[in-house]
Amino acid sequence: MNELLKKGFEKSIDPVMDVLHEFGGAWIFLGKVIKTFRRTSGYRKAIIQQVAEVSTRTISTVIFAGIFVGAILVLQFDTMLRRFDAEALLGGLNTSATIREVGPLIISFLLAGKVGAYTTAELANMRVTEQIDAIESLGTDPIQYLIIPRFFGVVLSSVVLLAIGLSVSVVGAILVAQSFGGINIYQYIASIPRFAGAWTLFEGLVRSTIFSTIVATVSTFKGYTASGGARGVGKAVTQSAIYINIYIVLGNFISSSLLEWIHDLTYFVIGVFERIFL
Amino acid sequence: MSIRFENVYKSFGPKKILDGVSFEVKKGQVLFILGKSGMGKSVTLKHIIGVLEPDAGKIFVDHFEVSSLFTEAGRELLPKVRQRCGMVFQHPALLDSLSNFENIAFGLRTPQYREKIGKTLTEAEIEATVLEKLRLVHLDPEILPLFPYEVSYGVQKRVSMARTLAPGPDYLLFDEPTTGLDPLSTSSINELISELSRKLKVTSIIVSHDMACALSIADQILFLDQGKVLLMAPPKIVVKSEIPLVKEFFEETLSLLPPNWSLE
Amino acid sequence: MNLKENYKRQLETFLLAIDLLRQLFRQASKGPHRKMEIVSAIEGIGIGSLPIISIATGFTGLVMTSEIAWHMDFALSNVSMIPGFTGQFVLRELGIAVPAMLIVSKVGASMTAELASMKITEQLDAFKLLKIDVVSYHIFPRWVACILSTVCLTLISITITLLIAMFTAVTKYHFNSQEYLNTLAQFITSMDLICAITKASIFGMIIPPISCAFGLLCKGGAQGVGQATTDAVVTATLAVITLDFILTAIFSALL
Repeated sequence: MNELLKKGFEKSIDPVMDVLHEFGGAWIFLGKVIKTFRRTSGYRKAIIQQVAEVSTRTISTVIFAGIFVGAILVLQFDTMLRRFDAEALLGGLNTSATIREVGPLIISFLLAGKVGAYTTAELANMRVTEQIDAIESLGTDPIQYLIIPRFFGVVLSSVVLLAIGLSVSVVGAILVAQSFGGINIYQYIASIPRFAGAWTLFEGLVRSTIFSTIVATVSTFKGYTASGGARGVGKAVTQSAIYINIYIVLGNFISSSLLEWIHDLTYFVIGVFERIFL
Repeated sequence: MSIRFENVYKSFGPKKILDGVSFEVKKGQVLFILGKSGMGKSVTLKHIIGVLEPDAGKIFVDHFEVSSLFTEAGRELLPKVRQRCGMVFQHPALLDSLSNFENIAFGLRTPQYREKIGKTLTEAEIEATVLEKLRLVHLDPEILPLFPYEVSYGVQKRVSMARTLAPGPDYLLFDEPTTGLDPLSTSSINELISELSRKLKVTSIIVSHDMACALSIADQILFLDQGKVLLMAPPKIVVKSEIPLVKEFFEETLSLLPPNWSLE
Repeated sequence: MNLKENYKRQLETFLLAIDLLRQLFRQASKGPHRKMEIVSAIEGIGIGSLPIISIATGFTGLVMTSEIAWHMDFALSNVSMIPGFTGQFVLRELGIAVPAMLIVSKVGASMTAELASMKITEQLDAFKLLKIDVVSYHIFPRWVACILSTVCLTLISITITLLIAMFTAVTKYHFNSQEYLNTLAQFITSMDLICAITKASIFGMIIPPISCAFGLLCKGGAQGVGQATTDAVVTATLAVITLDFILTAIFSALL
């Protein structure tokens, strides 16, 4: 009976341990990458090349998705606000929600596949065909040669791509608002500043940076540690996609709690300053 | 100047791969490691270049103790050990994103190589070295601007050997160099290996299943079974061995050889 | 040249996905239905994804609903709209799109990887020799399981998100839970639920054919498997976003 309980416990704890193992591994890997980066130099050319490669490959997909994300949200908010007779708020509410929350989340889900899974597939393929071992055996550190350019390339290009995607989705929302019936475009644009300002942009940028770092860390980590032939590559890519999505959702939660706190603090400090000086 | 294993243990999870392995390869010798699949032959090679860390035991390459280099300070030295060892992998393992020329020149552009020869090679010198190594593996310069996926598998293997030879290693490690090749390519690769090991007088360790090749070019043959060294001896003694597994291995090969065949 | 080949390949995959969908519908109407395989596929797809999807949508719901509530509070200084607004947003959009995206990368990607590695290790050729139809034996049960699981997982995640939204409203904006539920019930109609179920089942229906088409057309070794899986995730995500837009447009026109 005791044995049975123990076995059951082990079986139910296994997936939890797996997740924790992955999580810890990703952090250790991130630390290793940053440490190597700080110790060495001369990456500018390789990183710029990676940024160019990733961006050109991904930009059309991001623009396509950005337009649709904006369009979906504007339609949804329009129907909902109509019921509450609050159409005047549509522009502001939609723009703010797109830039701060839904936009980064959905576009990052897309980047998880387009950028994250791609990087994992590339590195995992190099791992299982022993290319990484070959680089190592020739006396070059694969982290320097392969991982650092890809890691920073993915981070930088993801931030840029997210920024482009968000701008496109704001524009897409306006286009859809105009062409899909009955939304007053001037009223729409006029209501934007009511909700969206510098803080919204800042929040969008912070979130984009966090999500980009997640995509870069998990994708290079899963690719670098892949094993076991073609099946191993498939497994690494699948896991990379799902782990990126989970970490993004968790990162979303943590960043929004932190940002709310920072927001309150900033406005409190500004308020104090105003009291003192004005 | 030698590679030495002292009681090396390594296991992956519950599976014991190396269970107290000790041997030594002296300068200029050619060692063949034989054994059934999954008996730790490739793992042995990966320990020498410090890709894998042993659970226990010591590994020496020249005066470096590879097994002690897995610390922060030691990692600085690992590239120097790897500089001395050239490894030819089971797959050609050429970098897809580089042309054949750049693949062969890869080892010449590393900081470790610069340190070893004390200067930076000019492009002309690099090209000369690449062409010289290309002649060693009997390839045409025509393939140099092509990418690895544009040439045949046999050519890829040779390019991969040229890449390994380029920085002038003291030791050559071959990991099943003929797996997945047709008989003709197999024999030409085997000829190439024996030619290289005689011409360049490099210490070589070859992991293989190819018995005929082992008998003709090895100075020493090492049998691995269940993670232990079953036997290590020159070919003449190995052929006469009474150990069942070794006997089985050789009877299979001898039956394929012509009846008037004899060792030297 | 490369670009042209790329488009040709995408077109080929798209046609195969449509053909797969046709074959799957025909088998659904004519049988054989392979109930046992469907049950075991549900175990893998639905129950296997349950923890991940409920955790992920839970956290997303927490963030989004408090965001919306914050907006209402900030702009209107009026929180009475919170229950209806969050409830509708969750039922119409958030509770459906987020699980669908997660299913793409959890279920879809592993289907592609599985089929692609079967293809390049020549297992699919072995099936052909044994006269086993991959669509009927392998894909159909997973397809049915994926549809059922997507609907169930969507409903579960909607429930979780709504509970979390209520929790936020009660703790942060001092709603009475009874009052919250009453307001919610006023604004949510059976149409919202129908909308959610329709969207979810359509997403569940299109993810497996896209994933399987990429797996079946995989070429080359390890590199091919990686490429196929990546393409499948991206295409399925884009397909979900596009269909989401179309369905949203249809439903908002209907209401």
